[in-house]
Amino acid sequence: MDVELTEILEALCQHAPFNEIADDTQLNDMVKEIEIQYVRAGEWVIAPSALNNTLFFIRSGAIEVLSKENKLIRRMNEGELFGYFSLLRGGKSSQSMRTIEDSLLYRIPARWFLKLYEENDTFSDFFQLAREVRLRVAMDSQSSDVSLMTCPVVSLLRRPPISTDVSSNIRVAAQIMAEHRVSSLLITEFDELIGIVTDQDLRTRAVAKGLAYDTPIADIMTRHPIVMDSGDYAAEAVLKMMERNVHHIPVVKNGRPIGVVSTGDIIQKESHGSIYLISDIYKQTSIEGLQSISRKMTHTFTHLVVADANTQMIGNAMSHIGTAFVKRLLQLGEEKFGPPPIPYCFIALGSQAREEQTIKTDQDNALILSDKYNKKLHGEYFEALTDWVCNNLDKCGYDLCSGDIMASNPRWRQPLSVWKENFSEWIQKPKAEALLRLSIFFDLRGVYGDKTLALQLNQHIRREAQQHSGFLTFMARNANQRKPPLGFFRQFVLDGEGTQSRTFNLKERGIAPIIDIVRVHALACGSDKLNTLERIEDIEAAGLLPDGRAKDLALALEMIGMVRIRHQKEQIEAGEEPNNHVNPENLSSFEKRHLRDAFHIVSGQQEFIKFRYAGKRS
Amino acid sequence: MSKLLKAKTKEEKQDWQAMFAEWAEEAPEGPLKRYYQAGMIAPDTPLQDAPLLALDLETTGLDPKEDEIISLGVIPLSNKIIRCQGAQYWMAKPERSLNAESVTIHEITHSELAEAPPLHAILDQILIALTGQVVVVHCVSIERQFLLQAAIKIYGYPLYFPVLDTMDIERQATFKPWWKRFGRRPSLRLDACRQRYKLPRYKAHHALTDALSSAELLQAQISHHMDPTADISNYWV
Repeated sequence: MDVELTEILEALCQHAPFNEIADDTQLNDMVKEIEIQYVRAGEWVIAPSALNNTLFFIRSGAIEVLSKENKLIRRMNEGELFGYFSLLRGGKSSQSMRTIEDSLLYRIPARWFLKLYEENDTFSDFFQLAREVRLRVAMDSQSSDVSLMTCPVVSLLRRPPISTDVSSNIRVAAQIMAEHRVSSLLITEFDELIGIVTDQDLRTRAVAKGLAYDTPIADIMTRHPIVMDSGDYAAEAVLKMMERNVHHIPVVKNGRPIGVVSTGDIIQKESHGSIYLISDIYKQTSIEGLQSISRKMTHTFTHLVVADANTQMIGNAMSHIGTAFVKRLLQLGEEKFGPPPIPYCFIALGSQAREEQTIKTDQDNALILSDKYNKKLHGEYFEALTDWVCNNLDKCGYDLCSGDIMASNPRWRQPLSVWKENFSEWIQKPKAEALLRLSIFFDLRGVYGDKTLALQLNQHIRREAQQHSGFLTFMARNANQRKPPLGFFRQFVLDGEGTQSRTFNLKERGIAPIIDIVRVHALACGSDKLNTLERIEDIEAAGLLPDGRAKDLALALEMIGMVRIRHQKEQIEAGEEPNNHVNPENLSSFEKRHLRDAFHIVSGQQEFIKFRYAGKRS
Repeated sequence: MSKLLKAKTKEEKQDWQAMFAEWAEEAPEGPLKRYYQAGMIAPDTPLQDAPLLALDLETTGLDPKEDEIISLGVIPLSNKIIRCQGAQYWMAKPERSLNAESVTIHEITHSELAEAPPLHAILDQILIALTGQVVVVHCVSIERQFLLQAAIKIYGYPLYFPVLDTMDIERQATFKPWWKRFGRRPSLRLDACRQRYKLPRYKAHHALTDALSSAELLQAQISHHMDPTADISNYWV
């Protein structure tokens, strides 16, 4: 009789990678060769420097992984696998494994592991030795093409075109549109496209003018509408729509219509649906109007997340929206207080400057005044303007900065020459404590006014930083202040010393460390970029990092950023204030696994910059 | 939790090896005689060297005289390792028809059983699997009685085998004198015993799964309450 060890097979197939290869019939044969072992808490499963010939599956209980130096590397629980590192290296194990609870372990013979690893790509992907490679594979499988620049217009079509013959009257046309719930109708003659009628045409050209229902549709249609070819890019459709101020464009293939793209379709697809929000912002003439738009921000944000936009796109969109608020408020402010007496530049700092803003951010900004500044003459004007702008930004959801790093603070509203002196002081005589607070100033972007002021200041900063390596030592040390967690264990966050906690701050301990690391390298190579990914490209080109390491940082940032964004979206949907505190209970096993890999990359690179910019030993 | 079971007195210890030798003489020619002739390990064999075979069977009811075996699963183990490779499973068509109630318990359907051979056709194979093995079961009386009755019926001679009873082991391990008892005595059901050792929960009432269940339970019990170097006669019944 055929023996089926269903309990064992089912237990395996609830967890990766077996859940992904559950249809592999070999698994049944593999299960028959499994051995089961009960191990009490505190015993070695793979003792230090022991040889291993088994892939272990934790059916219940928990395991602790220790390095050669007996340092805790990770903790694992139900459903996790271990021992494969050594199997891929001929049995030699650099790590040791010990039970920390009474555990039931399935021992899968090495032969089976190696066979599946050899034959099944899904299986071997899971065990990719390099975390970096593993992370890359994971991110690739997730990324979807959402860029209008690269997606063909056909991909936006949702249904075949709805059309009617030119002989129809207005009423028939309206009935067809109602029946199919479309806002546009193609008009054909002998099956050839000769015109288009939209909701708007029916309103303005028919109803408003009181035309009879039996008026021929030809009387109100737009003749010879502009069309797109099926091979065109969606981005071209957007340009055409804006150019011609139309909301519907028929798409043709070999001369025959195959569908219609509407602005609605574009907004659905377009990760910068923010374009529309931004143009709305510039139309507002009152604070109340701006406030009402700011309330739509969470919606725009969740919309972007749902549309599978990546963190770079979302950060970019949110930053552009943030910048639009600043610009519009300054325009309104200049109307209110009069034109500025001397040139100035309003600068964004931190995430807005890097174009990496998310949904809930404080304002961080400052003002560079032209050197013509005279406090007696101009002080009052700029005080009034910046106070007004910062307070109204607050009303629009950009909370006042708790550290008072705002243009309304006279300390951060200075002529260019004073700013230059400040930066020279910070860079030439760095003080670790102070630099920690000031790091935000090293991401600085002019957003309104005379932007050459910001450019000159950035040039000054780059020059100073490259000439004073001691400064980089301090920055590198500061970039090591916030350590990412080791990983996760059950519902806990696991830290290096074995401490476990309920939640952790994804921004503080994942994203910020990467930004800090990248900033140090960027300053070292004199990059004039502000965006972290763009800085990473410069760093890579400058050869500051070993091959592939720059890309790893980008992957880690994207992985952690993605989790944060998804987390914030879920908070918004649950009616909560979005924040950066993540509870591992809310993470999928996919996220946990890859966050751990990302954290590992971050700690590795933190170590690296410590030595790379070590400077003189004191 | 970890207290060692009390050692048995000399009188309590059984010598299954000697008993097997006797029965090998008495048993009628055939598979059962060959089973006894193959012998049993000596009573002073250390637990860690004993060949163990976890066994579970499902029946049409609880009365060994009236009811019949319909499925049987076995899985070999040592004090450290359970080996799936040696797992075996049989179904047997009962002579009387199945009532609806027991069908729902076992998740075995009428049609599956209708295709299975009768017990007398497979008992020879089961005996070969049992040869030389100390049997691990949860609640010795059921398995022992049903196989005893089946052997009498089919071979005309009783089948006996030494048993490590995980239920009895658990009873001893959780035993407290009455003056130390507090509240209800702990449950000795297989699932309850497993939970005490934090073993995962399984769907019950499949003979092979239940055999695996008691095999895992025994490993946990050995690591907590038994001395692997002690004589097997301290534990078998």
